[in-house]
Amino acid sequence: RVKANAGALTNFEVLDLLNSRGASKDTTRVIASETVSRSEYKVYDYLMETAASTQTRDSVTKFSDKCKGFKLAKAEILNIINLRPSSDVELTPILEKPDEREIDIEGILALVQELLPPLPTVEAHKENEQEETEDGEQPNMETSV
Amino acid sequence: MFCLSELEDTVRVPPSDLNLPLEVAIKKALQKLFLDKVLSIGLCVSIYGIKSIEGGFVLPGDGAATYKVVFRIVVFRPFVGEVIAAKFKESDSNGLRLTLGFFEDVYVPAPLIPTPNRCEPDPYNRNQMRWVWKYGDDEFIIDDSCQQIKFRVENISYPPVPTERAEDAKPFAPMVVTGTIDDDGLGPVSWWEACAPISDDED
Repeated sequence: RVKANAGALTNFEVLDLLNSRGASKDTTRVIASETVSRSEYKVYDYLMETAASTQTRDSVTKFSDKCKGFKLAKAEILNIINLRPSSDVELTPILEKPDEREIDIEGILALVQELLPPLPTVEAHKENEQEETEDGEQPNMETSV
Repeated sequence: MFCLSELEDTVRVPPSDLNLPLEVAIKKALQKLFLDKVLSIGLCVSIYGIKSIEGGFVLPGDGAATYKVVFRIVVFRPFVGEVIAAKFKESDSNGLRLTLGFFEDVYVPAPLIPTPNRCEPDPYNRNQMRWVWKYGDDEFIIDDSCQQIKFRVENISYPPVPTERAEDAKPFAPMVVTGTIDDDGLGPVSWWEACAPISDDED
């Protein structure tokens, strides 16, 4: 007996789950951890480089709610939350047949800007990496440039 | 790209684990069975929780206890049309292979790479071919210097397990995601950062 789809999850929710199990960026973690497996850590590492790593439950829920006015499919809202697009060219590939629908691209981008936290900075040329974990743990901050 | 799936399965708890609290023992057995395995519904990424446990009978001749368990798992199963960020893994004359770290079988076949393009032997890597996109007078190479590559899911397939394989065949991939990078905003992220000043709106 299988229920293949018991609910779609945002990247944030999966990251939150792994965080609640004790996943962290500590380098000794993989050896020491009994609650997070090696393969789960690969998912954690992937998600930490995406928008999910700076999101909060509150911001994601608020965003989903406010999206209702934009006539988007659930899957599109999920995709927007996961990618946090900040420009037209980042948003349009997510939408299905945007030219045939009257979609308020500017409105959606403004809502993203307003409600979803900025992406984590992981480029090589940036000197610091700031991240805050969801459960209020001390942020690992290095001096900013 | 993730969703919850609810399953029911028969789980054996080996005698060595029978001293553990029941939920812990069952979870351990479930992880061994499902974690990082591809099912018909996708790649199982994590055990979300146990809903019910029944049974616990010890069958004749077996030291283990057998339970009927209903539980939920987190599954990686992208939807067609989803845009996902990935990294370059390798490329050959058939196209590109991208990776998400926990999932490494994303393929962008040659027809889904923007044209005009060409495929040439990689000067840095004797066994590889690399792809180059020609846009106007500029040429953009697709290789591992690209920090992040966005693709859109075209298809997901679950090839049947092969009964025979050549000696040097690639490891079998039970789940294959086919993606396209041939559209605005797709492909290496750096392609679009360069284009941003040309577009009329900048947030």
